[in-house]
Amino acid sequence: MAGRPSAFAHYRILIGKDLRREFRSKEMLSSMGIYALLVLIVYGAALAQTERAFDILQMSGGLFWALVIFTSLLGLNRSFAAEKEQGSLEGILLVPMDRSVIFLAKASSNLLFLLIVEIITLPLFYFFFLTLTTPAPSSWLLIAPVFVGTLGIAGVGTLLATITANTRGRDVMLAVLFIPLIFPLLYACAAATSAVLIGAGDFMQTFSVSLALAGGYDLIMILIGWALYDFVISA
Amino acid sequence: MSTLSTYTNSDTVPTSSAHDDATISSPHAALAVLELSKRFGNRHALSNITFTLPQGAFLAVFGANGAGKTTLLRVLSTLLRPDAGSVRLCGIDVREQPEQARGTIGLISHNSMLYPDLTAEENLLFAARLYGVANPHERALEMLAAVELNHRRMDRVRGFSHGMTKRLAIARALIHDPELVLMDEPYSGLDARAMRVFDSLINQARQNRTFVMVSHDLEQGFELATHILLLAQGQVMAFGEKDRFALADFTQSYLQTAAVEMV
Repeated sequence: MAGRPSAFAHYRILIGKDLRREFRSKEMLSSMGIYALLVLIVYGAALAQTERAFDILQMSGGLFWALVIFTSLLGLNRSFAAEKEQGSLEGILLVPMDRSVIFLAKASSNLLFLLIVEIITLPLFYFFFLTLTTPAPSSWLLIAPVFVGTLGIAGVGTLLATITANTRGRDVMLAVLFIPLIFPLLYACAAATSAVLIGAGDFMQTFSVSLALAGGYDLIMILIGWALYDFVISA
Repeated sequence: MSTLSTYTNSDTVPTSSAHDDATISSPHAALAVLELSKRFGNRHALSNITFTLPQGAFLAVFGANGAGKTTLLRVLSTLLRPDAGSVRLCGIDVREQPEQARGTIGLISHNSMLYPDLTAEENLLFAARLYGVANPHERALEMLAAVELNHRRMDRVRGFSHGMTKRLAIARALIHDPELVLMDEPYSGLDARAMRVFDSLINQARQNRTFVMVSHDLEQGFELATHILLLAQGQVMAFGEKDRFALADFTQSYLQTAAVEMV
């Protein structure tokens, strides 16, 4: 034995394994990507009937975040399915290491995969819904709520996916727990996104307050996840 | 040599009085289990299990389905927390120092614990690095050679046969050179070649290592074991050195406990 690796070394090893496995199988990325595309098509079909009756810009923030939430639910469920397939998670639990590191590594890889899907989805969303309207010049600022929101989704989602991984009907269970818990973040991120896309009035005030709320939510939930993970994963 | 009625007397079934704190904390005990209990709801999966094993011992655990064998193995491996009692691995209390205890354990379970989308070598490297094995790459190659899979090292595990997966799972479990090897029916589903490789690995690894093997195969268990443990309904029905038991009598007793378990 060369000595027990540091927490950071364990983090790197775990995240390296997740990336290698996912980029090889593309299980999460392809399923989330296809699902996001299908949701966009459904949005398009549904909203095409009312094209002159409302301003799509007013709704785009909410629509985008609904798309992100549903897509991430699919991905989060899959992130633990792979760990359960051959009992691989037990293999990790047998290693002498701080189990909170497993949470951080899994949340980080989930964050990365969600961001990749969003990078692909955002231009498509723009193409489908925003080409006929004129988003405000401040639209580039939506990078901030997208990142902060995705960070919270990955953190909370990883914790809840761990809890529901061993339950019967885990897909439904994850959704039932995840959506109420993520609601404050969803509300804040949708408000911040809409504010920068519309850019009317004192939009920076709405944007900064919403972003601060979302950031605070992330901090609290990730700390809770870090603190509870040993108990959750051992239960 | 005795039948079940004599196994269950206080000579052969250790009790807390026979295993006081001094015995449990003995530096010679590789594994010391004291009054271990585990419940699932109202069902007692394990009740007051007590036994000790010296270093280098090979314990074969027998019992009918539902007797508590796998639960015992999961508690010993730290994957399950006991409700009461204590387990010491090489003097380390698994409840007080679970992380330290985990470094001494290798588990071969029904699950391979392998990632199907990684290659054989990547799976072993992943485990070796997590455990902090010195020269992980060399160790991974060494273990691949030991389980006769070096020619498939670059292949994804998804394409492996059951026997090959099992051999790789054994290599993974032993990659960090554990002092205590826990095995849950390791021979199940193995082809003749895999059995030969496994036997050879076990024989090589036996020096100074302690083994606990759950099995339904009494003959095989008796052949490998130095100690025997018979569980029924979560309780120790018999425990002792193998020489104290005759296979024929033990088989009869085992079948009796299995019949009780079914009722």
